[in-house]
Amino acid sequence: KKSIFLLMRTNICLTGNLKFCLLILNQPFNKGHFHCLWSRAALRACADGGANHLYHITEGSQESFLPDYISGDFDSIQPEVKEYYKVKGCELIETMDQDLTDFTKCLQILQKKIEKKGLQVDVIVALGGLGGRFDQTMASVETLFHATNITPSPVIVIQECSLIYLLQPGRHKLRVDTGLEGSWCGLIPVGNPCESVTTTGLKWNLTNQVLKFGTLVSTSNTYDNSGTVTIETDKPLLWTMAIK
Amino acid sequence: MERAFTPLECLLPAGNLKFCLLILNQPFNKGHFHCLWSRAALRACADGGANHLYHITEGSQESFLPDYISGDFDSIQPEVKEYYKVKGCELIETMDQDLTDFTKCLQILQKKIEKKGLQGRHKLRVDTGLEGSWCGLIPVGNPCESVTTTGLKWNLTNQVLKFGTLVSTSNTYDNSGTVTIETDKPLLWTMAIKR
Repeated sequence: KKSIFLLMRTNICLTGNLKFCLLILNQPFNKGHFHCLWSRAALRACADGGANHLYHITEGSQESFLPDYISGDFDSIQPEVKEYYKVKGCELIETMDQDLTDFTKCLQILQKKIEKKGLQVDVIVALGGLGGRFDQTMASVETLFHATNITPSPVIVIQECSLIYLLQPGRHKLRVDTGLEGSWCGLIPVGNPCESVTTTGLKWNLTNQVLKFGTLVSTSNTYDNSGTVTIETDKPLLWTMAIK
Repeated sequence: MERAFTPLECLLPAGNLKFCLLILNQPFNKGHFHCLWSRAALRACADGGANHLYHITEGSQESFLPDYISGDFDSIQPEVKEYYKVKGCELIETMDQDLTDFTKCLQILQKKIEKKGLQGRHKLRVDTGLEGSWCGLIPVGNPCESVTTTGLKWNLTNQVLKFGTLVSTSNTYDNSGTVTIETDKPLLWTMAIKR
């Protein structure tokens, strides 16, 4: 039985015992999320063009927001941005593998650094990666599939009002009572049908249900008032939820 | 049997393409809208899509009346619903909670297409000039055991496409102007449109 406390603003800004790392991906992201996450992250990295967004969103005070490293094939990062962070001493790690996305490669490097530093990490947060180009959203989902083999830490992706998290086969308990949960949530059988899914805590619960594209996909779902959602699944299943 | 299709032909200003337009509940680009609306054979809104239609045609809603609006009507604004009802648009309430408004709108559309007599291997023409730089093949929902392509920068030959193994994103075109895709299972094609 796995338990995860979803990473939300109140946890970080008020109580703040959660140990997490921050990856910045190549999509525009919410300033509110950013500042809240940056200040408390144990490690901070950019995947290629993510550095452009970091550079622009911290305009006027980039010096106070230097990532620990920037990785990627560097086909998206703007030359002046790359030069700036290089001069400031940020580690630039070039990764040429074309079969893996910048996000996946950034995660591999992050895990190595976590191990090297002996860090305890509760969750890895990726900011950006769900908006704009549809193929990039799908690439983010693909990275979540690979993440299981890269790191034991849960990986969540956040952008604007959406969060995604890949549930591995088994039982999961999600606390959804931080006050930052928006109105919708969903269970998406991306990549493979699930033969048997059972939930509690949702408005429309499932009992040993098949979730499969072309049969049934749970979207526009929401919560009952219990503050907790449990999900049991036989195959990998993507959880998605609204952030207020 | 090979199916030939030019995905972006519907956006070209001239031409004989026969198509129907469904407006969904998300904000959309005015440029695409006018180009598509004028030449569509049938036009429909899925629930809150009517809100977007109403607002994007402000001042001349009368010239942009859909053939029907369908859905469970939990998103459409009351004044928008009333406006189109008074103007004679068909309002079709669909209560099935297992299907999305989009799916139900499509079911109704197909019935109307049939009523009006208006219908393996895939060949996509990508030489309209409106193609953006990226494209992808996404095995949403099920792995594909064997995918073969031509016309892409990174082609596949009897390749497995599967989340956790390989998904084709950030792909692009060679200069041939045509992409062919052979797949053994449903496979989602996605591509960039130039603004």
